[in-house]
Amino acid sequence: MNWESTLEFARGPFFQVALLVFIAGMTYRLVAVLALGWKADKVKSKGSKVNGIAMSFAKGILIWPFIPWVKNTFTRNPITYLAGGLFHLGLFVVIFLGAAHVLVWKSLLGFAWFSLPQPIVDWLAAGAIVAMIALFINRLVNPVLKLLTGPAEWLNWLVVFLPMVSGYAMTHHVIPEYDTLFAIHMLTVDVLLIWIPLSRISHFMFYFFSKAIHGSDFGKRAVTP
Amino acid sequence: MKSQTVINTFVEKTGAYVAAQLEACTRCGMCAEACHFYQSSGNPEFAPVWKIELLRRAYEQRFTPVGKFKVAFKLDKPVTDEDIAHWSFIDYQACTMCNKCSMVCPMGINLGPLIHTVREGLSDAQAVPADLKAAVNKQEEIGSPLGVTDDVFDSRIEWVADEWEIEMPMDVKGADTLVVFSSIEIMKFPNNLAAIAKILNAAGEKWTLSKKGREVVNFGFYEGNDKLTKEFMNRVFSAAKELGVKKIVVTECGHAYDALRWTSANLMDVPEIEITHIAGLLGEYVKSGRIKLKPGALDGNGTITFHDACKIQRRGSHIQEPRDILNILAPKSFREMTPNKEESICCSGGGGVIAIKEADPIRYASFELKIDQVNKVGAKTVAMACSNCRLQFTDCVQHFNLDWKVAGLSQLVADALVE
Repeated sequence: MNWESTLEFARGPFFQVALLVFIAGMTYRLVAVLALGWKADKVKSKGSKVNGIAMSFAKGILIWPFIPWVKNTFTRNPITYLAGGLFHLGLFVVIFLGAAHVLVWKSLLGFAWFSLPQPIVDWLAAGAIVAMIALFINRLVNPVLKLLTGPAEWLNWLVVFLPMVSGYAMTHHVIPEYDTLFAIHMLTVDVLLIWIPLSRISHFMFYFFSKAIHGSDFGKRAVTP
Repeated sequence: MKSQTVINTFVEKTGAYVAAQLEACTRCGMCAEACHFYQSSGNPEFAPVWKIELLRRAYEQRFTPVGKFKVAFKLDKPVTDEDIAHWSFIDYQACTMCNKCSMVCPMGINLGPLIHTVREGLSDAQAVPADLKAAVNKQEEIGSPLGVTDDVFDSRIEWVADEWEIEMPMDVKGADTLVVFSSIEIMKFPNNLAAIAKILNAAGEKWTLSKKGREVVNFGFYEGNDKLTKEFMNRVFSAAKELGVKKIVVTECGHAYDALRWTSANLMDVPEIEITHIAGLLGEYVKSGRIKLKPGALDGNGTITFHDACKIQRRGSHIQEPRDILNILAPKSFREMTPNKEESICCSGGGGVIAIKEADPIRYASFELKIDQVNKVGAKTVAMACSNCRLQFTDCVQHFNLDWKVAGLSQLVADALVE
């Protein structure tokens, strides 16, 4: 196989198709859920739903990653907390603030933003990969996760893990054939993009719904979410 | 087929509210760590996420292309009648719907209400544990799950009025406030009735009881039976309308408060009447000076702590009022358990669990978490504002041979009234 042409395919037409599937798939998922209908809440609020929602997101996004012991459950399942947090942090930084990816954003959107210095991104990427391995082991060991984990969960893990490892290998020139690694990275990214709407990796979209529902339910009752 | 009934109910109940939350779940298993039943048993099937597994499966198979694909290629198991029996066990006997799990969910999924939906399906399929169903039927037939018939109600109220020499106004038209007791209080904690009457009289409240709306407990809500939930609430609402009251006060009962205050308007047309909980009312009285309490009345009898109920504190927001009161009554000896307030650990007897004899071993095992909590602060008295919690505490104190005093908040307030 010719890696050069594979790369051209993976970053060209295949990438475009994957992107299209991703966008169309996620739109479908969103519309399919919303089309099920939302009943208006007729219960009189005691507190403010808006405040509840704000607090719910603040706890989720701002407080939680920095003060993990906000939740008492932290000590009971630290791997899920630490590895889960580190994985997401690493992933977001690499995708949105890694220099190479910022260039991708620029070519996709026509504009882009600053990128973080390579060593920072690099360490976070390594951290995310280690976290992924920890999460893998956790799923094999933790009794609840053993019960919850089926083929779908393992597949999700693999589909996310491959682009991360191939991307890391690329930046570190693990083998001299750069095009080969690049092609593998792009292929796995394409697979990931197509896989997301078909799987639970789509949770990033529904996160905003569930967090808002949670916040408004607690806010309505005037309880801190 | 039971499984088909359950699935039909789930499909009918699935709106974007349910779907969006099911879609958000990453199956991280964190909710298990918040569940007292999982904590005490180590049984992974008691993980809250597993309690909604049936609902998730039904949703996925009916509404998502991936689910349809899985069914078509036999990659997913269809729901069977054995499944229904099994989930009836974990959803009714190992869940008090305390909703603590939703507080630790990284995605903020409100598991409690989703488990309620599962119970609705199980209820439609008549897969409700026999003991719970018997109590529900009793409430439907005679108006109370604990055998409080009209006659029993009359004689109990009369007896309390005599015994404690207290006025208990009955069916007073034009009263401002309708007070609805739970039959747990009527049958097991009559001192709470006397205490609440004493406080309301001292505050100069124009209140009344009602023969028609005499039961605030809602076992239909425990079961997840919409029709009966509405019927039981309607008894209270129609009594309130007939008497022309402005306010309904739910006494020390948790689930009833969740049903009446926070759920009713989404199930039925409700009259424009304020609904409040006695804990909130007590706080209001103390704050406004309508009743005066002897400061430090409870000091000197060992440490006192407060148990937060899932439906009154976590889901009812009456968190501060009991603390304001206890800080007056026992400024030196009131101590908080950890975790507390909205993050409190459940009593393990709510959600109908205590009514199911079969669930006793699970219920007792789970209460050991509470024993640890109380013993850590070295409390001799545990106060609470929920009679269901109180029933569980009283029962467990006996079962485990504990030397705690279990007290209702109203009772403590009434005993410390400055007359």
